[in-house]
Amino acid sequence: MRLRNRFLLATLVGIVMAAGVHVAVILAAPRYAEQDAFGKILPTISAEQAQIVSPPGGRDTWLPLPDPAVAVAACAFDLDDGPARIAAKTGSLFLSFSFHTKTGGVFFAVTDRAAVRGDLEIVVMTARQLDEARAAEDENEPSRDVRIVAPEQQGFVVVRVAAPAPSLRAQAEEAAKAVACTVDEAE
Amino acid sequence: MERPTILTKSPARASTRASSILPFPVTARFNPTALLILYAFVLALGLGLGSASRALKGDPPFGGVRLGPWEAWPRLGSPEADPYMRAIVARRGEIPLATGEGFSLTARADSQGRRLDAGCSYRIGAVTPPARLWTLTLYDEDGRLAASDLGRSSFTSSEIIRNPDDTFAITVSRGLSSGNWLQPPAAGTFFLVLRLYDMPGAAGANLAESAFPTIERLECGS
Repeated sequence: MRLRNRFLLATLVGIVMAAGVHVAVILAAPRYAEQDAFGKILPTISAEQAQIVSPPGGRDTWLPLPDPAVAVAACAFDLDDGPARIAAKTGSLFLSFSFHTKTGGVFFAVTDRAAVRGDLEIVVMTARQLDEARAAEDENEPSRDVRIVAPEQQGFVVVRVAAPAPSLRAQAEEAAKAVACTVDEAE
Repeated sequence: MERPTILTKSPARASTRASSILPFPVTARFNPTALLILYAFVLALGLGLGSASRALKGDPPFGGVRLGPWEAWPRLGSPEADPYMRAIVARRGEIPLATGEGFSLTARADSQGRRLDAGCSYRIGAVTPPARLWTLTLYDEDGRLAASDLGRSSFTSSEIIRNPDDTFAITVSRGLSSGNWLQPPAAGTFFLVLRLYDMPGAAGANLAESAFPTIERLECGS
């Protein structure tokens, strides 16, 4: 019955290798996904304003399970071009930013509670750009930028503005579209 | 054993050639090792790819929280999301609510654990955890918004009509109902998503089941 033992061994080896294949597929899936949110937002990378992903009402969107009471807009950034500056004027409507990378998921989120006098402004940069910005800074006049370090070069910012009542939907969409995403020029 | 004799008439040469053009070469013999290696590889690919695609089609297998009828994955929108969560988010193409931004919970069954069915009516209430704004949205089984005859598929916390004691009740039924009314799709199952925007404290931490609305099945008509 040597053949049976060899068959059992081959089955065992197959199962162990299957576990490896499973882990490899799961780990590689975000990197090779093409229909993910990043792939859909990336074409708008050159826009200076956030682009609407899901208007309030939840119609005409690729976003799965849209919340009809929330306007979702997004802008992509590529830190190779320089730090990305995301700025919004906050009003009475709930507004939030969340920062995503393609493979690493969410790395930061902030709501309009963090706004200073009606302005919410975040600068996304790489660790190297942060060092450079610090080195270039005037000690007597420190920058008031809120800086966050992104784990990857490319990513996207998602803006959500809530419309608590249907009559506020147009206003929420306007507020989401008005968010500016600009590239800071290298000094 | 006839071919050598056909090729040559000399018996001496036939015997020498017979060894080199044997009709059954060694490699064509039944070889269990090669077959077993092939079998192991096919098994690895089949099981590995099959289980991975199955895992990607479902909900994240780890890190789930169950609060009454509601299910949530608090780490889905955080940097600590596990590889399954990331892969599933990428496959679905969705943008999860980030921790600190909001918290989303899904109900596919009522408080007794029975699948939500469009043929039944339900009462959802009466409290939610503190949040700046919450929305409750009804989707059909394919995840599309199910708009009622009044064009409504969701309620927000500021739209809801509340009782004097600040509790609320939302009725989900096919037939028109007074008060807060959502209409399920014409047939099949449906599910509900409760989104709490700007919750104080860490999302999903220290939350009790009693802080969430219950889903009570009232009756199942024809």
